[in-house]
Amino acid sequence: MKNYTPIQADWLSKTLAGLIGGALLSFSIIGLFAWFGPSGLNSSLSGTELLWKTQFNMWLSVPIWLLIISFTYLFRTGAQAWFCLLSASAVGYGVLAILRGLL
Amino acid sequence: MKVRADILKTYQSLHTWTGITSSLLLFIGFFAGALTMFAPEIDRWATPSKHQMANIDTERYDALLDTVLASHPKASDNVILHFNDALSPVSWYEQGSPRGLRLDDIRWHATLDENDQLVAEQVPVNRLSELLDMLHRTAGIGGEIGHTQSGVFVLGIAAGLYFLALVSGVIFLLPTLVKRFMAVRDQGERKRFWLDGHNLLGIASLPFHIVIALTVCVFAFHDLLYGTLAQVYGDKPLFPRNPPSKIERNIADLPKVSEMVALAQSHAPGYQVAQIKLSNLNKPSAFATIDVVNEGEVARGALHDFMFINPYTLEVVSSSVAHPEQTVWARLVSSFFGLHFGSYGGDLMRWVYFMMGLAGACLFYSGNILWLEKRRQKGMQQRRAYRIMGALTVGVCLGALTGIAATFASSKWLTLLPVNINQAYMFVYYASFSCVMISAFVYGPAKTAINTLKVLALLCVLIPVTSVLAGLVPAVNLWFPNSLGTLMVEVIALAFAVVFWWLSGHVKRRAMANEPGSIWHLETPDTITSNLSVKHS
Repeated sequence: MKNYTPIQADWLSKTLAGLIGGALLSFSIIGLFAWFGPSGLNSSLSGTELLWKTQFNMWLSVPIWLLIISFTYLFRTGAQAWFCLLSASAVGYGVLAILRGLL
Repeated sequence: MKVRADILKTYQSLHTWTGITSSLLLFIGFFAGALTMFAPEIDRWATPSKHQMANIDTERYDALLDTVLASHPKASDNVILHFNDALSPVSWYEQGSPRGLRLDDIRWHATLDENDQLVAEQVPVNRLSELLDMLHRTAGIGGEIGHTQSGVFVLGIAAGLYFLALVSGVIFLLPTLVKRFMAVRDQGERKRFWLDGHNLLGIASLPFHIVIALTVCVFAFHDLLYGTLAQVYGDKPLFPRNPPSKIERNIADLPKVSEMVALAQSHAPGYQVAQIKLSNLNKPSAFATIDVVNEGEVARGALHDFMFINPYTLEVVSSSVAHPEQTVWARLVSSFFGLHFGSYGGDLMRWVYFMMGLAGACLFYSGNILWLEKRRQKGMQQRRAYRIMGALTVGVCLGALTGIAATFASSKWLTLLPVNINQAYMFVYYASFSCVMISAFVYGPAKTAINTLKVLALLCVLIPVTSVLAGLVPAVNLWFPNSLGTLMVEVIALAFAVVFWWLSGHVKRRAMANEPGSIWHLETPDTITSNLSVKHS
């Protein structure tokens, strides 16, 4: 009756993918936000602004990372989880590098 | 809402395993955390009222500070001016410092008499609330990694698991969410009551739990996260670098206390100055922290907002006070802290956080009970994991409660003994915890729970009884609560006593049903039944 391929458990590989791949991806998102989001690092920030913005960036990494880990178990297999998270973070860091070179 | 069966199954397993591995640590963290909402009241309750000295008028603080700094050179390293009626007007550390849990700190308290003469006394610092805070942050796990207690990292990991448990719990509850929510069935299968209660507690306080899980992860791992963030920042500094000052400082140049208070009032209108902490006054690194309170705003700290100033130039170096120039990032970050500490909305919010903390502890306990009930097999023969988890659940939960209750119950009596009171607290806590833990494994969860809950009730009753005794027999040299806050500590203790006594009876009735294989099964129920019949006859 099932008209879908059920997801595999793959606990260990998915958990590691969420922890490692998820960390890479979340910090690539934080990198983009820190450099090109509001109060970005290229704009002239006052000492106080930098002090609080850096704290905010650090805080933001935790919910993003934990949400990625939480939803990593939705990937069909562990290998797929690794592939998606790593390629997404590669794209993230790529965009970050290009934008930092351009701007 | 429909969710695919394989997803439900995956997230149900995830919920089970993340829950069972973190629940007992979180139980201790939440219960102790709920109590730390009233840390100032608890410390005032535990400190003999004679340890606090008479208040003086605000304009006499200048004279007081000058006298202290002139007669006690050590005070220039770390001296605190208190603007709170319940505390001595000034205090400084002879040994130790205000931060962190050290057991042998000695502090001076002082005030001025009518003739502007200094009255000073050295007292050991009673750190009852910091014992609770240590349990809150580490679940009582000792040892240090770097400068942080290793328990902090353990609880950080537990908080991560707890976040996964929250997400997975919501996902596998989604299909039946509306139907299950608000329906606590106590009929039918016993498991159902626990299941419905667990769901109700979890869903009703979900935002609070999400906040706590995320903030605890940040508190535990911020150093690692800043390290990683530095990689992303590249050559940009994380924080503004201020080269250390080289200007020599002389206490004679120190501005007046009234000028510092005025600075605080102009920087933070609407706030009250709670205390001013002056540090390293003789050194180029001199700085001052002004703690300010405004119950209408979200505070960055557990009790206060902070202003860091240079005490000589009166320049505000950094501040967490809500004011028009404050950036949105400062507001957001302060609110993350405030949401964890419940330091907004004054006493009402402190009571709400107290109740939520207790409800959280119940959520984790009920989760463990569900895990056990689900794994129970028919008949007497049970798996090893079931027996160990049953004993652990009762041992850890009741052990921590007994440890805390015993510390409170013995607190005032310990001041009569020639011992370091903070070391005595640690001994009482860990000894009580170990006794309950050992009993849970040796005598089984049922017997341990029935007896420990009774002991707990007695310990809690002992707290107000001690005060009544102090009032009736002045010769014992103890003291009676002298404010509403400290009196409430005893009222709450009494309420806990009633709950624990009732629970003991409840567990006893449960054990009488004597279901084979249940963790509440008693091997020899006769002793208990005969006790019961004696009581009823």
